[in-house]
Amino acid sequence: MVVVRGGPGTRGAGERHPGPGTDRLGWLACAAAVAGFLLCLLGGLAGGGAVSVPWASSLDLRLSFALDGLAVLYGLLATGVGALVFAYGTRYLTLHLEHQRRSAVERWRFWPWMALFAAAMVGLATAQDLVLVFVFFDLTAVCSYFLIGFDRSERAARTAALMALLVTVVAAVAMLVAAVLLYSVHGTFSIPELLARADSSATTTSAAVLLAVAALAKSAQVPLHFWLPRAMAAPTPVSAYLHSAAMVAAGVLVIGRVHPLLARSEPVLTGLVVVGAVSVVVGGVLALRQDVLKQLLAYSTISQYGYLVMLYGMGGAEGNGAAAFYVLAHAVAKSALFMTAGTVTMTTGEDRLSRLGGLGRRAPVLAVAAGVAAATLAALPLTIGFFKDELLYAAALRHGPVTAVVAVVAATLTFAYIGRFWLGLFLGPPRGQVGPASGLLVAPVVILAAVAVLGGLVVEPFARLASDAAGVSTGGPVTIAPGYHFDLRPENVMAVAAWVLGGLLLALPRVVDPVVRAVAAAGERWGPRRAYEATLHALDRVSAAVHDREVKDLRTSIAAVLVPAGLVVGLAFAATPTTGAYAVGVVAGADWLILPLLVLVVIATLVVARVRSRLTVALALAVVGFALAAVYALVGAPDVALVAVVVETMLTLVFVAALARMPDEGPVRDAVVRVRPRRRRRDGPAGVVAGLAVFASVWGFLSQPAPDSVSAEHVRLTPAAHGGDVVTVIVADFRGLDTLVEITVLLVAVVGVATLMRRGRLW
Amino acid sequence: MSADGVDAPPDSVVRVVARLLPGPGLMVAAALIVKGYAEVGDGFAAGVVVALAIALIYVAFGAEGAESALPALRHAPKLAVGGLLLALASGFFPLALGEPPVTHRPGPGEHVTKIGALELFTPLLLDLGVFMLVVGVLTTLVHQLARPLGEGKR
Repeated sequence: MVVVRGGPGTRGAGERHPGPGTDRLGWLACAAAVAGFLLCLLGGLAGGGAVSVPWASSLDLRLSFALDGLAVLYGLLATGVGALVFAYGTRYLTLHLEHQRRSAVERWRFWPWMALFAAAMVGLATAQDLVLVFVFFDLTAVCSYFLIGFDRSERAARTAALMALLVTVVAAVAMLVAAVLLYSVHGTFSIPELLARADSSATTTSAAVLLAVAALAKSAQVPLHFWLPRAMAAPTPVSAYLHSAAMVAAGVLVIGRVHPLLARSEPVLTGLVVVGAVSVVVGGVLALRQDVLKQLLAYSTISQYGYLVMLYGMGGAEGNGAAAFYVLAHAVAKSALFMTAGTVTMTTGEDRLSRLGGLGRRAPVLAVAAGVAAATLAALPLTIGFFKDELLYAAALRHGPVTAVVAVVAATLTFAYIGRFWLGLFLGPPRGQVGPASGLLVAPVVILAAVAVLGGLVVEPFARLASDAAGVSTGGPVTIAPGYHFDLRPENVMAVAAWVLGGLLLALPRVVDPVVRAVAAAGERWGPRRAYEATLHALDRVSAAVHDREVKDLRTSIAAVLVPAGLVVGLAFAATPTTGAYAVGVVAGADWLILPLLVLVVIATLVVARVRSRLTVALALAVVGFALAAVYALVGAPDVALVAVVVETMLTLVFVAALARMPDEGPVRDAVVRVRPRRRRRDGPAGVVAGLAVFASVWGFLSQPAPDSVSAEHVRLTPAAHGGDVVTVIVADFRGLDTLVEITVLLVAVVGVATLMRRGRLW
Repeated sequence: MSADGVDAPPDSVVRVVARLLPGPGLMVAAALIVKGYAEVGDGFAAGVVVALAIALIYVAFGAEGAESALPALRHAPKLAVGGLLLALASGFFPLALGEPPVTHRPGPGEHVTKIGALELFTPLLLDLGVFMLVVGVLTTLVHQLARPLGEGKR
């Protein structure tokens, strides 16, 4: 990356914008993905491997990665699909930026995030530490925020990015809670150790539920699915990658990773089956009538990941094996379909089924490749998709009659909506203008289609990949053996039933339409998106109300700090025992000097409060400062006294200089300010609350100097630090890190002053 | 600017004192730093003392006069940044050696070379950095207040 970053800079100024045809950055990302793919492949063939190095040892955190079956499967998906999508993206992004008349330099706002996303996915797949999993999990969410919001001038893209971020990140907090919960019981974050140690206790169950919530939000499962259709505001390569093989896959990846933990409790598994089944039906039904291509695919994704969650809920060797195989088949098909949608939109300028049709004759290669991808999703024979449904049916039958029915319904819906997608696009009367399609916008789809057909002919390698992955989820060896069987076994009957029913749905839109419309209306009315928006608006309102109250004028700003602080301190005092906390000492020796100084402070403070002239206020404040400096000197803190004197002098000078810049008149007494009297009445109570709290805390502090405070230790260690003056040694050595931060703030403050006074010019 | 005495020329005593004060001010500052680790004082107080002398020059001669008499003042922002970097370096160099930050050299119990009261060890660099930072920051601040936006736009 660094090398390439140097590239544009070294070129002449006239060539600063690289030509539209050369997306070197994109190709670099693509090359990196290919390299990652080969590494995963070779690593997988070599039997994997593991590294584990300490990270934050005081927190028991380790950077532990392992290339096990699950990691190989998801790593290959993330890098393989990633490489194809990146190659596609080099062309797509160039056209996209051209259409929107944006500079090609904006690629820098795209490819680094894509590459980081791919890296985070591989990291997530290989991570063996729950906190590490959480970090990568959130890293993907952050990347997705910037990728979905790539068209930042569009409001829809910005809202969608924020929604995706909030839903997945807030839910991900549940994962962190689960990690801490498990750590508190078992004393480790390491996933293999946790899986070995976890029992079927209530803690395990709660942790399992929390993990599942985080994973389900990420995989866009009902009721946290609403962010995914919105996220289609992203450029197509983002959807093709994040919303088919990566981001949404991260959720089920986590489920697969911690599955033995979830399997400790039957209700959790049942919950997964229910959520999955509901997502299958809701996503599938809503996908039936979507008009916008990518929206249809988004609802399809919700439905397809519903299958997966359902399969993991069924669990066991069958369920986990089928799930692992399903991820593979679905990612291949869905990213191909997303890229098809992108290519169609790019060449025709249309993104709605109702305005497109008959593209088959004009783009035959794309039609065939997309047809294979659609057939894969619809589980037709000779594609890898057939086996995914075969395994699904087998697992569903094993689990029970209800899941078997759901499986057939799911396959029926899939057949219907994906059939409508393909037929609507490529058959029928020609609609829409077709521009020239670049080979790069078609080739990745063709490659994925070839993979799908290859999997349909020679399924063993894919099955082995899925078996290894399922072995990790099950905690023991799993063998899945999909194949063609030409007999009347239940799986085949179910498959044929699904095709027939799906064909019927496709042929009878009049029956389907009202149902879909009713479901969509109900979702719009009572759906979770409403709750999300209402929550966001309510938070916004609360924040705005507090802010308005605070910034009304100077008095409210001060009260907003002092009153809550006073109340909190008051609560703390009310909650702690008070015996001996407030002692009245004797006045002796130097105290007789301190008392008059304190009286002077009180008088000066009263002057500050009463006087109108600004200069007098500044000088009275200076009196307060100098008197307190004298008090410090008397109580034996010469260091503090010295600093107080010099700083007070400087402060007074600065005050006077600033006041000289202000207009002569006193505070303006116009109609708005006249409203004060009512607010003034609040000043008294606010001052009393704040003052009492400070008084009580100082009194309490002075009454009982802590016996074993850290200061005694500081005094003892000062000679060892080659010092004679404790304060200096504390500042420069014992708490040196604090000092470094504080002096940095000093420079930041000056930059702030310069920004306010002279538009950021320091001199 | 209003004519109520703010811009009237300060009397000659102030001018003379302002002219004479920087020398002793620097001496006091140096003493504060040298003796800092053994007695009262440190780089911060030393910095404010010097900045006070500079501020007095501003008061006596006005911003224009002060900055034409002492052109070196324009380096104040660089001094501040340099001081901060020096202080940060003195705190974080141990990271490069695999030690926690703010691990000072020589360590506890080791021999420290002394020149009078001046101890030659890494906290001295921190003190010097803080001194430079404070002088730079406060001088910049006085400059900002003395010549706000209207005059800065030239």
